[in-house]
Amino acid sequence: MTDIKTPGNGISRRQLIRKGALFAGAGLAAGLTGFPYINRMAVRAQGTPLKFWQFYAPGGQVQSQVDWFTQMISAWNDSHEQKVELEYVPNAEYINGPKLATSFASNEGPDIFLISPGDFLRYYNGGVLQDLTPHIDDATKADFPESVIANRMVDGKIYGIPMEVEPMAMYYSVKAFEEAGLNENDVPKTWDELLEVAKKLTTPNRYGVLFETTPGYYQNFTWYPFLWQGGGEFQTKDGKSAFDSPATVQALKFWQDAVNSGAAPRQVLGNGANDAVANLAAGYCAIQNVGIWGISQLAGNAKDFQYGVFKLPTPANGKYVTVGGGWAFVANAKGKSPDAAAQFCAWALASMDKGSVQRVADWCTKAKSDMPPRNSALQAGGDAFKQGNIGTFAKDIHPGTRAEPRVPPEVYKIISDAIQQTQLGGADPQQTATAASQQLDAFLASYSGAPIL
Amino acid sequence: MRRHQNKPDQSQPIRPKGLSAKHREWVAGYLFVLPDAIGLLIFLGLPMALSLVLAVFEVNGFGGYRFVGFANFLRMGKDPLFWQAARVTALYAVLLVPLLYVCGLGLALLVQKTNRFNAVMRAMFFAPHMVSLVVVAVVWQFMVVDKIGVINKLTPLLGISGVSFLGDPQFALVTVVFVSLWFLMGFYMLIFLGGLQDIPKEYYEAAKIDGATAYHCFWHITLPLLKPTSFFVLMVSMVAAVAGAQAFDIIYVMTKGGPANSTSVLIVYIYQQAFSFGAFGYAAAMSSVLVVVLMLVTAIFFVMTKGGRFNYD
Repeated sequence: MTDIKTPGNGISRRQLIRKGALFAGAGLAAGLTGFPYINRMAVRAQGTPLKFWQFYAPGGQVQSQVDWFTQMISAWNDSHEQKVELEYVPNAEYINGPKLATSFASNEGPDIFLISPGDFLRYYNGGVLQDLTPHIDDATKADFPESVIANRMVDGKIYGIPMEVEPMAMYYSVKAFEEAGLNENDVPKTWDELLEVAKKLTTPNRYGVLFETTPGYYQNFTWYPFLWQGGGEFQTKDGKSAFDSPATVQALKFWQDAVNSGAAPRQVLGNGANDAVANLAAGYCAIQNVGIWGISQLAGNAKDFQYGVFKLPTPANGKYVTVGGGWAFVANAKGKSPDAAAQFCAWALASMDKGSVQRVADWCTKAKSDMPPRNSALQAGGDAFKQGNIGTFAKDIHPGTRAEPRVPPEVYKIISDAIQQTQLGGADPQQTATAASQQLDAFLASYSGAPIL
Repeated sequence: MRRHQNKPDQSQPIRPKGLSAKHREWVAGYLFVLPDAIGLLIFLGLPMALSLVLAVFEVNGFGGYRFVGFANFLRMGKDPLFWQAARVTALYAVLLVPLLYVCGLGLALLVQKTNRFNAVMRAMFFAPHMVSLVVVAVVWQFMVVDKIGVINKLTPLLGISGVSFLGDPQFALVTVVFVSLWFLMGFYMLIFLGGLQDIPKEYYEAAKIDGATAYHCFWHITLPLLKPTSFFVLMVSMVAAVAGAQAFDIIYVMTKGGPANSTSVLIVYIYQQAFSFGAFGYAAAMSSVLVVVLMLVTAIFFVMTKGGRFNYD
């Protein structure tokens, strides 16, 4: 028996209504009843491997880094029952995007992930960082210099294992120097000298010197050494604001002067001022404030570019200091298996086992250009840390490294606004420092999380 | 007697048992709308309701919830950055909405006649709207970059030099308004084209016979008869300026709200509070206020203009 259809039409109006209602009902039923099952299935489908979120592998663009990560995971999975799986999250989504933040908010955070000191307190105060100390032996603990590990510790316990130390320095274009009649003897040692040299290097198509201009954690990170060089701090030992100081005003003014003189740009290219290829190698600037990773960036994407590095100039009354950032492996305390995740982190980067030490050395010499966070890895790297620009970092730049401070987001924002208002907004540095200091005091008075370093 | 009572009334149209034709159409209409309505309810209504709930909690983004009542709303009053963002949002909307109206209508009038040249022009004006917002932002970012951007190379010809379009707080907001305008005006041109085609040609012919100029035709025929379209354009562009995807994407990619918070519109500030600072409760409170303000402004505008309907009194 067939349905009676209205002549000339494929389907009668009654049938259409009936089928429409069925379709809508099915959709509604699926919506009301199907999602929990789908959700459970999805959770099961994730399986037992621990998820390791990072922005290097397996989808990363630098093959040596992809290889380092995949080899590490293979080595672990070959020798352990609890497997680990790499999950690549593009940098823009990971660091500045909502992916990591929303995953924890929805209780779907990764088991193992990377964080920088700038984000440490947010995650620690949120209670999602697993104590890694029980999995690290005393010899290995002693292998990490205090200055490197301190900003990943709370109450003597280690919550993150650094994979690198990334001190900031100045890179310069040899070609730009030659065009301006300068050479390596003209490398500036003071802030005043830097501005003078930058003016000489400035042309209608090029800036003399480049500092970060985009607001964000990275800009704060790159500004800290200029604050410290004059003896400035943003917090006193008794937990109050120390931001309203001559050193703060001096540092804010230095960046403002660089922009106002026309020697430094108000905008940066590419991925920002951490991108040496898009700014320095492309000829947008002659000197750029970049970290040690610039060496591997330029080696990978601007092989023929001739450049040199020198340590950050200091103010007339100051002493040399730079800032060292770097990412760390952390384990999710609310993950599927926090202990196994912590064990993995310790096995990968914090064991006296030869493989662990060599892994750290390889990351800093072969996969990327960094200073190692462990004394043993520095030795294992051998001559790699004595040659070329890495050698300059190891010998001249790295000894003045001070660890990147960990600050809560509220403190970051206050400092960021002060930098932005003076550097690009033309605000008076003294008034800005005073106002920011008052805001800092108001926040610090009510702050109750882990100590800020 | 009984048989006589059951005899169909020949004066009434024959209809099947059950619902009347009017009701069947009513049911059909709602059934067709139902899938969309469910979608809106789940993906728009539910998040809005949850956002209101979230707004009365302090949420740290790691599963920690603490009831704080109206504290998040009170915090807004004391937060200078919230007010700064509100001011920037208002300025962005005040600059963008009239420009979109004028440019959208202007382009539609320019290309309303149907011929091959205008078809190409329409496609050209609409083309930016087809491009991903992130791509639009990145391309314009390169075009206005200090010293070496194409625009910066051309501006000295107009006697303007040394302008940092995105690095100077004086120019950054105007620059993002311009880029938003470039991206959106083709879309509003299409809306206006639809409105223009609805105006009967006889009105223009009669006016011309009476000696009306193009100027008179525009002011006395085109503009008054575009009232419903104008209402739609102004409403949609206002909502787009305050909470649209372009208001976030273009600004976030081009400036991250800088320099010195000069382009930090509310939607960018809300994003920062939620995803950079983990203040989900505070972000939800700001979102709720934004939604309420938008609804209020829309309602006021709706009442004032009678929803864009013609006044036949």
